[in-house]
Amino acid sequence: MEKWEKLSKMPYKEIKELQDRKLRAFMANQIYLYSPYYSNLLKELKIDPIKIKGIDDLRHLPFTYKWDIAPTDEEPQKAKDFVIRPDEEVTEKYGHLAKMSMTGGKAMVEERVYDFKPVHIHFTTGRTAMPTPFVYSKRDLDNIREAGYRLLDVFEVTPDDIVVNCFPFAPHLAFWQTFFAGEKMNVANFHSGGGKIVGTKNLMDAFEYLRPTVAVFIPGYCYYFLREAVKQGRDFSSIRKIFFGGERVPPGLKDKIKDLFKQLGAGEVMVLATYGMTEAKVAWPECPSHEEYHGYHLYPDLEVFETVDPESGEPVGEGEEGEIVYTSLDWRGTAVLRYRTGDIAKGGLLLEPCPNCGRTVPRISSNIQRKSELKEFSMTKVKGTLVNLNNFFPLMMGHPDIEEWQVEMRKRNDDPFDMDEIYLYVAPKENVDREKLAADLKQKVLRDTEVSLTDIIFKSVPEVVSQLGMETELKEKRILDNRPS
Amino acid sequence: MQAWNKVSRMPAAAIKKMQDEQFTKMLREEMAVRHPYYRELFKENNINLDQIKGVDDISNLPFTEKEDLLPMEADLRYPKKFVLEVPSEGEQKGKKKGFALFGKKDTGPDPSDYKFHTLYFSAGRTGKPVPFEYTHHDLRNLKEAGARAFDILGLTRDDTMINAFTYAPNAFFWQMFYSTVDTGSTALQAGGGKVLGMEKILKAMDNMEAPVFICSPGYAIFALQTLEHFGFSAENLERVVTGIDYAPMETVGKMARLMESVGAKDKRVQRMYFIAEAKSGWAECDPGYGYHTNPDHILVEIVDPDSGAVVEEGEKGEVVITHLDTRGTVLLRCKTGDIATGGIVTEPCPNCKRTVPRIMGDIERKAYHFDLHSSDGPVQFNGNNLRKMMIARDDVLLWYLEIDRHGGQDALNLVVKGVSGSDEGELLKSLEEEMKKVISVPLTVESATLDAVANKIGLEKFITEQVIFDNRNL
Repeated sequence: MEKWEKLSKMPYKEIKELQDRKLRAFMANQIYLYSPYYSNLLKELKIDPIKIKGIDDLRHLPFTYKWDIAPTDEEPQKAKDFVIRPDEEVTEKYGHLAKMSMTGGKAMVEERVYDFKPVHIHFTTGRTAMPTPFVYSKRDLDNIREAGYRLLDVFEVTPDDIVVNCFPFAPHLAFWQTFFAGEKMNVANFHSGGGKIVGTKNLMDAFEYLRPTVAVFIPGYCYYFLREAVKQGRDFSSIRKIFFGGERVPPGLKDKIKDLFKQLGAGEVMVLATYGMTEAKVAWPECPSHEEYHGYHLYPDLEVFETVDPESGEPVGEGEEGEIVYTSLDWRGTAVLRYRTGDIAKGGLLLEPCPNCGRTVPRISSNIQRKSELKEFSMTKVKGTLVNLNNFFPLMMGHPDIEEWQVEMRKRNDDPFDMDEIYLYVAPKENVDREKLAADLKQKVLRDTEVSLTDIIFKSVPEVVSQLGMETELKEKRILDNRPS
Repeated sequence: MQAWNKVSRMPAAAIKKMQDEQFTKMLREEMAVRHPYYRELFKENNINLDQIKGVDDISNLPFTEKEDLLPMEADLRYPKKFVLEVPSEGEQKGKKKGFALFGKKDTGPDPSDYKFHTLYFSAGRTGKPVPFEYTHHDLRNLKEAGARAFDILGLTRDDTMINAFTYAPNAFFWQMFYSTVDTGSTALQAGGGKVLGMEKILKAMDNMEAPVFICSPGYAIFALQTLEHFGFSAENLERVVTGIDYAPMETVGKMARLMESVGAKDKRVQRMYFIAEAKSGWAECDPGYGYHTNPDHILVEIVDPDSGAVVEEGEKGEVVITHLDTRGTVLLRCKTGDIATGGIVTEPCPNCKRTVPRIMGDIERKAYHFDLHSSDGPVQFNGNNLRKMMIARDDVLLWYLEIDRHGGQDALNLVVKGVSGSDEGELLKSLEEEMKKVISVPLTVESATLDAVANKIGLEKFITEQVIFDNRNL
């Protein structure tokens, strides 16, 4: 791992040389020798790892898809094959490490093998596939700590801040990335576990007790939490920054959040976004700016990002829209090569220095159409049309007249062969003209998702909050597919 | 805290001397100077700290009750009164120049040791959770306490474990987390049933072939009882480490039987005792040998719960905590509401030979001692004994007890869900007979569905299950 202060100022040419060098070593010394899945794949495809000279050669490797890793009932241990492990199962005598026993003795070999031992585990949050474990070695924990430090550094969080982590507790990346970031930055913290764990009222009490300067949230819960806080006349005047993870933050929602913080006594709160994925084992920060979007800063010594045409799989040019493809670099534990994330970076991959902060590391555009969080629903056939349900998020989250919402897909008469129906539950703000709002929503939903709603059903905020499972689910249920299969 | 290999072998007299020094220092240099609550308390009560020469004089100081710590709606920052103030930069003396080989390098308090770092809460079993502030100094101590507990339990980096302690921002979960990470063992931080649910936890145990399962006692028993239902194997399971909630010896026996019945590789059960007020937890090397405390961190007294008088070594009494080496939230003579049935002993552990004081017997909950009204007059009822009785039975899956008052007389209602395959009628009858032997107030015993009992006791909802409900609003 490079020093962030040095890495973030390196010219791109040097960054690429560094990545080339690291990839060569990673392929030859780790992946080919100790990753059961890739070792077999490379042998099957007769790809000589030595011939992978640099990141430009990645295109010679096949893609890895979610279903290649996700465990199934037939193969529950599938994900284990993606773990770099020089154990007896994979290499009879620990591969080249065994040679060390001649000079360092058996104990030394054992120590080196221990370096690869998984010590920490995260799971993916998929709803349809079985959760996939991604494991970290002790060395990998240093990587996630360093990634966290970089994330906080970009967000200009310092050891003088107090951070409240409101991500729901789970063996998931979001909570733990925040924890390890705080550990490395040595910043005072409170890892609440979210409303589901401590309850919304207790969490508000903790805010008033601690007077934190930074809060970390899932956007949907944050919006609910702040509205409740305003109702209760809470004092959150200490908050300076808030950062989100878990899902996209539409611009309209950012405005709503800022406005709520003003009502809670805070000044101009900086709303920041992160992008992360379990498969990459880290999260990246969006460059902070009140006005413009400058993209997420990547860690080129820990990964390689490519953007490809989602149909053909061919790489697209710099700054061109494409699907994000991720390759691990210098990790132990679970490592994936050319993993198709399904997320579309609208503004592509950017290699020139950031115009906002001057850091030279590659950036991925802020406008990411996330597939990983809502993969199962994102492109769904409703009424015979392929619907992009992601489009509900910016529309509904950013709508100034809406407090809460939920989409439900059903079949007419609950008959699997009958027509698809799509219902929108809306809890409007007070004193909003419902007729006008309904007309506006019908038109905008048609424009953004290309389907017409079966009906819009107005409900009270507590009713929709309860339907969403805001305080009981790890993540609120925004889109329900209740169509019988 | 000091080096464990030194503390764990110190003779009792040396431990006493060390605690005398630490206690008087803590009292004079921390509590009297920068502790808002105790500073005021000492002043108000004209307590002359010069007369407190060591641990033996501690009974001249007042107790801190749990109620004293509780946050108030009107002032959420009230618990800050129990937090040491950060010393000013001016209090830090310059480093002594010259030859530092002899004498202590006393440079005065280091402000960074006092700076807030993280916040944990009490489990809130009996009321509103109390915040406990931890500084870097406390976090180091928490990690050290965790490392010592793993040493006592004999857990190493070669172990693979599921940490199924319910996630909450408390020291119980986090001590266990730091122990696993610092030891370098393979661990899934599951967060308990509330986060992952039973099926996923059992599946992870099966898939990871984990030999060590760390869990609260009630949930661990429930897991072992329902393993078959979910169709998972526990063939690699070797030991259960239990904590958070009290685990009487009956728990150990029951778990061992269950482990055997599900085909576990071994049937070792070990216990840990966590008290939020102690800002850490203690482990027991083997069941029955007592929880090995950290005498360089916390001073443990055992007192008569009513009179407050310190009881003799090995006698039953309430656990009282005094901090010897903490920053952030600091407590003096805090009554925990926990009763140690075997008191505290200072002779070396006959099992592991460590010399630290040990809290013996089972831990009981003072809040489970009830004064009941019967037609024949007042009756004492110890709910802890009922809990032990119910744990010991192999035919009970889940249960709870309600205490109600009708017309000035108290009545008990025991609600149970038997294990699958048990004869419900027989179960209710035998429970009624067993209960009537020990309690003379009117009693009803009834069965309920799994969901109804699980919901009532807060299984997978709260940090630990609540099994006794006093509905009398006294």
